[in-house]
Amino acid sequence: MEDLKIGVYVCNCGTNIAKVVDCDATIESASRLPGVAIARPYKYMCSNPGQEMIVADIREHGLNRVVVAACSPRMHEPTFRKALQQAGVNPYFLEMANIREQCSWVHEDGAVATEKAKALVKAAVLRVARHEPLERRSVDMCPDLLVIGGGIAGMTAALDLADAGSKIYLVERADHLGGNLARVDLTAPYLDSARDMLTDRMTRVVEHPNISLLLNSEVERLEGFVGNFQATIATKAGNAADQVATVDVGSVVVCTGYKEFDASRITHYGYGKLPNVITSFEFEKMLREGGVETKEGKAPQYVAIIHCVGSRNLEFHAYCSRVCCMTALKYAHEVKSAVPGAYVSDIYIDMHAFGKGHEDFYRRSSEVKTLFLMYAKDDYPVIRKADAKDDCEMLIEVNESLSGETIEIPADMVILMVGMEARDDWAEVAHLVNISGDKDGWFIESHPKLDPVATTTDGIYIAGACQAPKDIPDSVAQARAAAARILGRIAKGKLEIDAVFAEVDEDKCSGCRMCNELCPYTAIEFDAEKKRSHIISALCKACGACVAACPSGAIAARHFTDAQIFAEIEGVLA
Amino acid sequence: MTFEPKIVGFLCNWCSYTGADLAGTSRIHYAANVRIIRVMCSARIDPTFVLKALHDGADGVLICGCHPGDCHYSEGNYKMMRRYPLLKALLSDYGIEKDRVRLEWVSASEGQRFADIVNDMTERVRALGPSSIKTALATDMAER
Repeated sequence: MEDLKIGVYVCNCGTNIAKVVDCDATIESASRLPGVAIARPYKYMCSNPGQEMIVADIREHGLNRVVVAACSPRMHEPTFRKALQQAGVNPYFLEMANIREQCSWVHEDGAVATEKAKALVKAAVLRVARHEPLERRSVDMCPDLLVIGGGIAGMTAALDLADAGSKIYLVERADHLGGNLARVDLTAPYLDSARDMLTDRMTRVVEHPNISLLLNSEVERLEGFVGNFQATIATKAGNAADQVATVDVGSVVVCTGYKEFDASRITHYGYGKLPNVITSFEFEKMLREGGVETKEGKAPQYVAIIHCVGSRNLEFHAYCSRVCCMTALKYAHEVKSAVPGAYVSDIYIDMHAFGKGHEDFYRRSSEVKTLFLMYAKDDYPVIRKADAKDDCEMLIEVNESLSGETIEIPADMVILMVGMEARDDWAEVAHLVNISGDKDGWFIESHPKLDPVATTTDGIYIAGACQAPKDIPDSVAQARAAAARILGRIAKGKLEIDAVFAEVDEDKCSGCRMCNELCPYTAIEFDAEKKRSHIISALCKACGACVAACPSGAIAARHFTDAQIFAEIEGVLA
Repeated sequence: MTFEPKIVGFLCNWCSYTGADLAGTSRIHYAANVRIIRVMCSARIDPTFVLKALHDGADGVLICGCHPGDCHYSEGNYKMMRRYPLLKALLSDYGIEKDRVRLEWVSASEGQRFADIVNDMTERVRALGPSSIKTALATDMAER
């Protein structure tokens, strides 16, 4: 074997790693390890200059192994493998040390984190020395797709994919399409009708020859891996037993949306007790049915709109729900057109008008004589029933921040701008498709900035408000991005998958057949003539269960051999 | 000076390693004593990995896999689950305290749970003090 020439690269990740881990000390320690020819730091290893540095070093110094100490291999292992390949080195001669997610981001003490980083780098160096060159395998990519959720995001993704020729299974739990958008009247900031927007999409989905629309349905199981998933879908059939079907799909787009905050959780607003305190969705319903009136059937003279109900509040949800400010301004217009002469008060914390056309809309709304009152976070306005002598139903007391005064305003109707929250069963959905949710239950994207559509599970994509509160244009953009990503992979026809699988050394195999029954994929066959077991590599998914069980040590897990893991153990304990 | 135990963590790629990454992306701080080694499935964890780690100076070994029913490979974690009691019995023959080796299920969304387990285990192993297995194994080898 040629002499080892290992290149070690320690990424600063801007300051993400470098502010906790002493990268220079880590480099210095790595440079003294056996076989290390070069050890260098860089600001961003994953950037083009970072990758080019590896390529140049391989060519110039004849490196034959590379260790990159940076983020999780689940993030950038493919990136660096490509760099090795580009330089003519087998991509499996790479090992990553996870010194960000599992070190600098979770430890505060710099000295302790640096010691850990050194140990992780040592483990990677010892391991990579025992790596073997492997060839990647190519498998078919099933062009059919599963879209979960029939809201605006799901329908958009399904249509883009179906238009390109893929067969789509669009699974919707409800008995109709449209999701939350089907509950909305006009949309901000251009006051377009949501109904018009949806009708076109819904009609196309229903009529599309490539879309198999499954209403009243839920995905029960998802098995397999990218390019080759099997989804089991159950469809409710009235009183009869559910109809269950299993379909093959190559990728999955999760578009399960959000639910609205339960306004009765904030007792100050009397929601559920005061009849004319309603939620934004209840007001939308009123608008869609064509009449703005109080429970008593009167046209409201005073309408108050309260922002951030359940949002931007540590007691409920710390995040901003993003759509409510513009929706509230839209209500000011809709109230004025339904009840000319009505007074509208808009009670807000901060006005978030960040989107295209939003600031203009805010300005125009200010011109239609809306009274804007600012309240401080956690200093809730208090609503009470008015006395008989007052000419209104309710009175709202607001500690107005800009004037510093306590102001009492009349109201016949109060609209609570309820925020968005993750669906109650988000964890079950995440589990179903093997993705993660954050502390609020929003699904986690592969990279918050550079890959907001993919997830940590290859072949599973997310779009719409299931990822985070989002307005219609953002949901649509994400859905179309997911569709484009998937189509890009389908266009290649074949899918390259890891070269990792298990192999039997026939000289060591005693023919005990213990492994035969262990394999969940029935990838192990027994050659009765030779009295040896054999692994069908195309069926093997590389879990390694047979490797650990073989009493003769005759089975090797490529890229996870005993020697490689032993080397890692020695390294981390150094 | 307080004793800082060295703990080797064997984590499955699909659930637990991702869960540990999530602890990172969520910036959940925890003890730095666990050094993680990634395997594809908890079923890959040969009992010799645990013995090797203890032999090489680990004061504890943490094994994490997907929750029962959640295994990426359908049932690998059940294999680990069945091997584990046998391994524990063997370890107790060597006089290894039970808190030194621990099997836990951590899903991809349980970053907090992973951090809690690491902190708890670090405290327990710290309370036990340095492992004596290294010398025990060395003696055993010498007798052969």
